[in-house]
Amino acid sequence: MEQREFLKIIKACRRRMYIADFLKSSVSALSIGAGTGILFQIAAFFVPLYYADLYMMLAFILAELSVLAVMVVRRTTMEQAALRMDGFGFEERIVTAYEHLDQEGTLVGLQREDAMRQLREHRDKIHIPVMPSLKRTALLFLLLVCSVGLSLLPSAAKERAGELHRIREEAQGKEDEIEEFMEALEQLEQEQLTKEQQEALQEMMESLESSLSEYQQAVSEEMLSAASQKLDYKYENMSSQLSNLMQELQSGAGVSIASADAMQEIAEQLAKMQEGKLARGDGDGKGQGGSNGDDQMGQQKGVGDGSGQGGAGDRNGQNGQSGDGNGGGQNGQGEGSGSGEGRGTGSSGTPHDYVSVPNAVADSGNLTGNIGSHETSEYFRAQNGLNWEGEHTSLEAVIGSYEQNAYEGIAAERYPSGMEDIIKEYFASFNN
Amino acid sequence: MAELDRSRLQDPAYMAQRIAACEREIQKGIIGQGELIRQVILAMLTGGNVLLEGMPGLGKTRLVSTIGKVFDLSFKRIQFTPDLMPSDVTGTNIIIKNEQGSSFSFERGPVFANLILADEINRATPKTQSALLEAMQEHTVTVGNVSHVLDEPFFVLATQNPIESEGTYPLPEAQLDRFMFKLLVRFPTREELKGIVALTEGGSEPVIEKQMDGEGLLAARALVNQIPIAEAVMDYLLEIIMETHVPNPHIREGASPRAAQALIRAARAKAFIEGRFNVSFQDVKEAAYPVLRHRIIPGFDAISAGITEDDIITRILEAKTALAGR
Repeated sequence: MEQREFLKIIKACRRRMYIADFLKSSVSALSIGAGTGILFQIAAFFVPLYYADLYMMLAFILAELSVLAVMVVRRTTMEQAALRMDGFGFEERIVTAYEHLDQEGTLVGLQREDAMRQLREHRDKIHIPVMPSLKRTALLFLLLVCSVGLSLLPSAAKERAGELHRIREEAQGKEDEIEEFMEALEQLEQEQLTKEQQEALQEMMESLESSLSEYQQAVSEEMLSAASQKLDYKYENMSSQLSNLMQELQSGAGVSIASADAMQEIAEQLAKMQEGKLARGDGDGKGQGGSNGDDQMGQQKGVGDGSGQGGAGDRNGQNGQSGDGNGGGQNGQGEGSGSGEGRGTGSSGTPHDYVSVPNAVADSGNLTGNIGSHETSEYFRAQNGLNWEGEHTSLEAVIGSYEQNAYEGIAAERYPSGMEDIIKEYFASFNN
Repeated sequence: MAELDRSRLQDPAYMAQRIAACEREIQKGIIGQGELIRQVILAMLTGGNVLLEGMPGLGKTRLVSTIGKVFDLSFKRIQFTPDLMPSDVTGTNIIIKNEQGSSFSFERGPVFANLILADEINRATPKTQSALLEAMQEHTVTVGNVSHVLDEPFFVLATQNPIESEGTYPLPEAQLDRFMFKLLVRFPTREELKGIVALTEGGSEPVIEKQMDGEGLLAARALVNQIPIAEAVMDYLLEIIMETHVPNPHIREGASPRAAQALIRAARAKAFIEGRFNVSFQDVKEAAYPVLRHRIIPGFDAISAGITEDDIITRILEAKTALAGR
C-alpha cells in the first residue's frame, strides 16, 4: 500500500466521520430545538404568545445554525480519523503511522509498513456508521410531532393572543396616524397665533397624546373601541376647531399663508377621516349607528349645544334602543324602543363633553351575564373618562322606572290619544 | 538452540522473535507465572529494576536463576539480613601483600554481576539497602574515592515478604521509586502446583538453553527506545500520571516524573515483545499496574476502606477511558 492510498483511506474515513458527526449533532440540536419549541407551545396554552410558532421555527433554525457553526470550527482532523480507525482492532497502528509519516528510521519505517499491511488486510473491519442512531432519530421525530401537534391545538390563550395581536396591530396603525397628526400640528407656525389659539392647539396636542396613550394601553376590543370613539370625537372637534382657527387667521392681518394652508390641510384630513368613519357607521347601522343615544346622559354631559351626530339607526329600535342618530336637538335627544346595542357620541362646544356608553344593553343576544344575576354583568372603565362604569340596576327597577314615567306621561297626557292602551299593555306584559 | 545471529541485532523483527523465544524458554523452567515472567522481561528490556513481592517458596529465586541462564547473564544472590553491611554488597578495599609490598585492592562484592537477586531486601538496615541505590540508579559503585562501573546489562530483582513485618525495615519511598516495576508473585493454581511438584520432585529437570546474551539484550533495549508513540497515546499516558496528583482522598502521594518515564518505556517494551512497533492504549493500561502500584502512596481513607493500590489504578484508568478513544 502506497502512502497516497494510506492517506486516501484516512481521508475517506474522516469524511464519513464528519458527515456522521454533522448528522448526529443535527439530530441532537434539532431535538433541543423541538424541545424548546414544545416549551413555547406549552407556554402558549397559558399565556398569550402570538408568535409561539415563529419562536419554535426560530429555535429550530438557531439549533441548526449552531451545529453548522460548530462543524465549521470543529472539523474532524486526520489524526482523529486515524484514531477512530484504530478503534477497529488496529491498536493505534494507523495513528502512529500517520503522525510519523514524514519521519525516517528503521523502527518508524517498520511501523509504517506494519500499519499499512494491517490496514490492507483488515480494511473491511472499519465501519463508521453515517446515520445517527435509530433511538435519537425516533426521539427527534417524536418531539417534532409533539411540537407540531401542540401548535395545532386550539386554546383560549391562543385565541386571546390572536385577539391581542389584532388589537395591537390596529392600535399601532392608529398610533402612527396620531403621531403623524401631532407632527403636523407641531410644525405649524405658532408665533403668529394668539395666546388663546396657541392654548387651543396645545390642548389638541395633549388630547392627541392622551389618545396615543390609550391606544398604547389598549388590550381589549372594548378599550380599542372606546379609544377609537374618543379619537373620532376628537378628530371631529379638532377639524372644526382648526377650520375656525384657519378662518380667524385668514381674516387677520400678516398671517402666513403656509400656516393657514397647513391648518386647512390638517382640518380637511381630519374631516375626511371623520366622514369615512361616519360612512362606515351608516352602512353598518347595527348598534354603532346610534348617536347621542341616551338622551339623559346626553343632557348630563352635553351641556347646552350638544349636536348629536351619527349614523342612522333603525327607528324601530331593532338594533338600537337609543338608536335614533339624528340627534338634531340641542340636547342631543334621541328616543327609540326595542332592543339592540346602541352607542352614541355627544358633542358640544366644550372640549370635555362626554357621554357614558353602556357595555351592552337591551338585546339579550348582546348582553353578557344573566338578567337576574347582576354580579356577572360586565362593564369596563375606560381611561380619561369618555366611558365609565355603569351602575348595576335590576331589570325590575329599570322597567318599574320606565313604567312609572310612562304612567305619569299618560296622566299628563303627553302621548297621542290611543297610545295609552298600547303603553299599558306593553308594561303589563312584563308583569306576567 | 539457534545461535544469536549477531548480524541481525539491529533487526527489530528478529530481536522481537528472540525475546519471545527467551520467554518461552523461561516458561519451561517456571510452571505458571506467565504474566510475572512477561513483566520481568519487560523490565529487562527497559533496563529497569524489579521488586518482587510474594510469599516465600513461590519460585522467585528459581525465576531469577532461570532468567540468568536464558539470557546468559552472570547471576548473584544476596540474602539480606539485619547484620548485612554495605560492603558486603558493594565490595571493599583490602590490603594485598606481595613482593612489591602492601597495597589496597578493591575486592568486588556480589553486586558486580548482571543479574542480582536481592532476597528479602526489607530485612537489611536502611544503610545497607541504600548501598544498592547507587548501583540501581547509576550502575556504579563508589568505594572510598573510586567509582566502579558495573557490568552492563545490570538488573536488580529484589524480593520482599509482605507478611512478616517484625524485624524488617520497609523500603523508603525514594528507594521504591528506583524500582521500575513492583510485581506481585501470586500463589499458583492447583494445576500449576501439580506441574511444579511434578517438575521438581522426581521428574527430570528441564534443560534451560541460552537464547540471548547481554549484548543482544542491550541491542533489543536500544530498539525498544526507538518505538514511536502517537500523540494521543502519549497524552493518555501523561493524563494517567497527572491523575494521581489530583486531590483524591485515596491517594496520599502521587507518582513521580520517573513513573512517566517508566510507563513510556514499559509500554514500548510491551509493544515490542508483542511484535508491534507502536504503542497502543492497551499497552499503557497494562503497564500502568506494575509501574504505579509502588509509586502511589495510599491515603488513610483507602487503607481503612481496604482499597489497594491496584484498585486506585483501576479507577484512574476507568476515569481516563474516554481519552483512550474507547
